[in-house]
Amino acid sequence: MASAPESDLAFHEKRRDSDHESFLAHKRLRWLKLSSALCLVAILGYVFADVEPRPNGGTWYGYILGTLGAGLIVWLSLLGIRKRAMTPGRWSLKAWTSAHVYLGLSLIVVATLHTGFQLGWNVHTLAYVLMMLVILSGIYGVVVYATLPQALSDNRREMTKGQMVEALAAIDRQLDQAAQPLAREESDRVIAALKQDTFGYGLVVRLTGNYRDCRTAAALALFDRHGASDPAHERVAALLRKRQAQLDQIRRHMRLRALLEIWLYIHVPLTVALLAALTAHIVSVFYYW
Amino acid sequence: MAFLIRSIDFTASGREIVRERELAQDELIVGRAAESDIHLPDLAVEQQHVRVTRADDGRLKVEAIGSLGFTLDGRTQSDARIDPREGGELTLGSYRLAFAQEADGRVAVTVRRAEDRPPDKAQALGGFSLGGALPGKRVMAWAGLAIILLAFLVLPIWTHATRERVKPDYDRPGATLMDASWRTGPLSLKHHGLEDNCEACHAEPFVAVRDETCLTCHEDIADHATQSRQANARGPLSPGAAIQWQVAHAFNKPGPGACTDCHTEHEGAGRMQPAREQFCADCHGSLDTRLTDTALGNASDFGKAHPEFNAMLITAAGQKEPQRVSLSDKPRQWNGLRFPHDMHLDKRGGVARMAQRLGAANGYGDPLECNDCHRTTADGVRFLPVDMEQDCESCHSLVIDQVGGVFRKVRHGDAAQARAELLALGRASRPPLVQNRIRPGEYGASGIYRANFGGPATGTALLAGAMAREGLCGECHVPAGRPGSLDVMPVTQPSRYFMHGWFDHDAHKQEQCSSCHAANTSGSSADLLLPGIGQCRDCHQGESTRKAEVPSSCAMCHSYHPPGQPAAAPRRIARK
Repeated sequence: MASAPESDLAFHEKRRDSDHESFLAHKRLRWLKLSSALCLVAILGYVFADVEPRPNGGTWYGYILGTLGAGLIVWLSLLGIRKRAMTPGRWSLKAWTSAHVYLGLSLIVVATLHTGFQLGWNVHTLAYVLMMLVILSGIYGVVVYATLPQALSDNRREMTKGQMVEALAAIDRQLDQAAQPLAREESDRVIAALKQDTFGYGLVVRLTGNYRDCRTAAALALFDRHGASDPAHERVAALLRKRQAQLDQIRRHMRLRALLEIWLYIHVPLTVALLAALTAHIVSVFYYW
Repeated sequence: MAFLIRSIDFTASGREIVRERELAQDELIVGRAAESDIHLPDLAVEQQHVRVTRADDGRLKVEAIGSLGFTLDGRTQSDARIDPREGGELTLGSYRLAFAQEADGRVAVTVRRAEDRPPDKAQALGGFSLGGALPGKRVMAWAGLAIILLAFLVLPIWTHATRERVKPDYDRPGATLMDASWRTGPLSLKHHGLEDNCEACHAEPFVAVRDETCLTCHEDIADHATQSRQANARGPLSPGAAIQWQVAHAFNKPGPGACTDCHTEHEGAGRMQPAREQFCADCHGSLDTRLTDTALGNASDFGKAHPEFNAMLITAAGQKEPQRVSLSDKPRQWNGLRFPHDMHLDKRGGVARMAQRLGAANGYGDPLECNDCHRTTADGVRFLPVDMEQDCESCHSLVIDQVGGVFRKVRHGDAAQARAELLALGRASRPPLVQNRIRPGEYGASGIYRANFGGPATGTALLAGAMAREGLCGECHVPAGRPGSLDVMPVTQPSRYFMHGWFDHDAHKQEQCSSCHAANTSGSSADLLLPGIGQCRDCHQGESTRKAEVPSSCAMCHSYHPPGQPAAAPRRIARK
């Protein structure tokens, strides 16, 4: 590489830089600046536009903001299609994502001004509320994508998910062997712990990490209560503790994954619902013109 | 130290074969090489892969001999410890070595070839993500899409399109379902009954509300002026307005001049917002340049550009119809009365003294106030005509005689009757001058030569002087002409001077009468005590003003639709 022409070096330097640049900071915040300018123009227009009888979606300025907002919503939702094709360069997916985030934020201003702060129990406000929920979940998504991967990586302790499952299986096999000398009640507890589905938990348990019906913990409590009287019991108790530790790691991983993924379960379906509500909003306005 | 090596193999039929052998040594080498202590015939295992020794603390030390690590309890490592009491599972290639301490203290190593990779591993890995715990995004998205489109689009459109067409009923809900969800805001006060009857106004899909629809209920509304004159009066559109109208027409909006131009609905409960000043000023701001025959002055802002008021007046005796006169010409009115306001409102004169003498029991007690004579209408907007019997007669008595304890008075408002009453006054019998003396014979009271020797004939005297300046009638009335007659000039008391503007006294009742009406200094009933526009502007300025107490748009005083008329444009207001 020492003999490579300088321009080539510069090119690779640039490419590497761009590879490691966050989509938030893309092109020195180009889209942040653009969407801030858009918000500023929208606010100034709102203040100075001469509309009758008062600002709302039904004035000429309201129609302009509404058209702009609807166009933005449709374009923003196209990221779902666009992201399936990764391309580099000027219209790279990173540029698109950066624009998606910042233009999406500017929609808060554009759409709120479009409402003229007139909200009610109707399909128009439904569209607005859905849009705000989509944007809020998007903000959450950006925040957790920036913060949680580090925690996720820390929790792995250099293990893959497969290894975590495998480790648990290894412990389980040993437990199965070690529990052979145990009496009925204790064996049942161990069997119950081994049979329990590691991943069979719902959203709330995953998010809170509150595994109240954990049978491994229950079995461990039993052994701790009786105290370790002989090597066999001692061994099973030790293995149960290992199992518990391994479960904790898996559950922390599940919790972080849940925190990381939950927003998409709001962002994506609500976006589609928003497109439906937006259609109803626009059609109804012209139907009852 | 001894190791118990327990190998578990399977026969072709699946039967388990367990072989045990004991190695009394402190070190254990595990590898593919045949001479290894534990021989694992698997290419993924190195010739000499792992060395197991006993560490000082009693645990087993497991270390990789080559560069490849090993898996202990699922974790890939190259150096680890196993507590033999707890045990551990070492995985090398496809073999699993389970370490555990036997009861006699020996360390048992159970070697077993693992069955093939468990098939549910990929599934287990999927369990880490939320996918297993929630319905799929696609399912939720489609469900939301379907519910919203059905409830908020398909249902209202279907029921609207298939409804039975009936004349809108103010008190009955419409047939369209779920269209309440389309409502952008509450209707104004007058349309409140149509809140559940959207199709009353939104009759046709994708057609803006038309004037015809409004007129199905508002049958009697009159137009502002004839359409042709309105079209001529409208000024040229500003570029911005022209573009707006182009867009509006492209979207099938009616106008300009449609009902909905001014009467925008769904702007919130309460009274409908009046039209903005600019709406009127578009035409009236420079009306004379387009409607050259108009008598109306240009007006665009009450504070800055509005003509002086025109009052409807009779200015001279004998005038039959009132005429519009500008207050800037300082007109005098002729109402057929002689009435100096200053004398009546004087705090020290005879009138004040008289009022004090009549006392509080009669509603006086102090110098006269305006409302001693002027009474408002029930709604407080205007004043009732001053009534002689009720408002004047307490002082200006028409009593001409006393019979017993009863006062006789001249009837007001009927000249012939009054004249008869005055003449009759002389004929009535009066008490004799002296008591107990009776004139004899035919000179007696019932005789044919009776003569009336009472006092002077007061009725005749009153009659003769009635029309004089200080006389019974002439004190207030102007004689109509013929000598000896009691006829007076007709009295006019207009209830309203401004026919095209609205003024509500009730809205101004926190003000003194004298703030606007200079009655204290008026010595003649010909003085027109109406305030001019300058006085109104003390408080009222145009809609956009920030300085005045009361920013006032055109609609505060003027109505766009001519009041009380059937559907017809008002007469052309032509040049004088």
